[in-house]
Amino acid sequence: MAPPPTLATAPLAQVAAALRRRTVSPLELLEAYQRRIGPAAELRAFITPPGERARREAQRAQQQLARRQAGALLGVPIAVKDLFATRGLRTTAGSRILRDWVPSKDAGLVTRLRVAGAVIFGKTNLHEFAYGVTTANPWWGVARNPRDVRRSPGGSSGGSAIAVVAGLCAAALGSDTGGSIRIPASLCGCVGLKPTYGLLPLDGVVPLGWSLDHAGPLARTVEDAGILLDALSGGRAWKQAQRVTTRGLRVGILHDSVVKPVQPGVSRLVQEAAAALGRNGLRIRDVRVPEMAWTVVTQLVTLRAEASAAHARWIRARPRAYGPDVRIRLQLGALIAGADYVLAQRMRAKIKDAVRGIFDEIDVLLLPTTPITAPIVGERTVHWRSGAEPVDSALVRLTAPFNLTGVPALSVPYGEVSGLPVGLQLVGRWNDEARVLAVGRLIEALASR
Amino acid sequence: MTERDRLAAATRAAGLRLTAADLEALRPAWKRYLALVEELRAALAPEPSND
Repeated sequence: MAPPPTLATAPLAQVAAALRRRTVSPLELLEAYQRRIGPAAELRAFITPPGERARREAQRAQQQLARRQAGALLGVPIAVKDLFATRGLRTTAGSRILRDWVPSKDAGLVTRLRVAGAVIFGKTNLHEFAYGVTTANPWWGVARNPRDVRRSPGGSSGGSAIAVVAGLCAAALGSDTGGSIRIPASLCGCVGLKPTYGLLPLDGVVPLGWSLDHAGPLARTVEDAGILLDALSGGRAWKQAQRVTTRGLRVGILHDSVVKPVQPGVSRLVQEAAAALGRNGLRIRDVRVPEMAWTVVTQLVTLRAEASAAHARWIRARPRAYGPDVRIRLQLGALIAGADYVLAQRMRAKIKDAVRGIFDEIDVLLLPTTPITAPIVGERTVHWRSGAEPVDSALVRLTAPFNLTGVPALSVPYGEVSGLPVGLQLVGRWNDEARVLAVGRLIEALASR
Repeated sequence: MTERDRLAAATRAAGLRLTAADLEALRPAWKRYLALVEELRAALAPEPSND
């Protein structure tokens, strides 16, 4: 029996339920996604598209389902950012340097996906070594936004967001060092979750910034992101989220220089969402965290130094093996003095204290994920009334604070500006994914009204 | 010593192999970095004390 055509774009929760009911088989599902990958080739979602190996995994899942075996993701095709090691399957990190690397072990999170029964459904495109936010990859192709192919999908997990939005998989795994899950989720129009720092293990993930790196899901719905989070963490955040009473929760709206400038349409949607939450019994209040104005320099120094430490050997021995933008970032990082790194960590501690302080007053912070909608591919500057801002800086301005602080942050699609999706970002206390997901689900419901 | 010379010296000290074109490409990022870090230093400067 052929799967209904809509199943390829259905939420993971529906796909998993259809597999359990055996109204569709893992192989039929796999073929339904695979049929869509060829026509979507110009999006450059995959570095290694799913092949024979994914088919064998689907066949195995089919046998397990026939035996009524359990597994939250049994037979569900999940695409994996090509930064995560996959045993026996090429893992390039979007680079030329690792173009022939075939790991002998799976990354810890890939193992967890397999344990939950998922079919590892190809390796997705990314910004080279995850060090950038456009996925304009010089070695594996310039990724395109499925909502408008002239535009960037964002990055660095651009391929994962494309695969989710274009219906090329049920959900995807990404990583986030300055916004690399949430930015493409926002620009392409899907859900992206960066959990609390340290909640998900990073063994087998090619490192970028050891104190900033996070892993997390990209998915079609908040529920899907929650299901994946629980499968990846072994925890119960999504189960807890379903019991959270959102009425009475305190939602803070950030009013600081860091959230200015923002495209007027994006700003209007934040206000609309806040008003809608208020009508649904949540208490809205304005908050200020002036220390966040120091995010850009703190993130810059921290990430440049840490990434250059991770690439210390290659950037000196093989500088031409990097694309120009990543090469310059790594060379700059190699010049950073230890004393400057220490300064950045002192400021980071102040930002963290300030963020801890606002969570005495509120439960969840609401702000845009990105101040702009998807830029045109190759566009380098955003022109505000107040002056010019590099596109890369604008894209990370509202996401990077939560890599520095390590608090959970979720991007949920909420409306459009000129036909392009807008993501709203919900941020919670450390390890309070449940409330973030609960408010995220409410936002999602309000967006569809 | 010009700013360019200082940058060239810093890259050599860091063990980087840069062509003249590489150095030019790196300069804007280096200048921006120096300006931002200067602001950070000023913000975190120790308070004057009477000790």
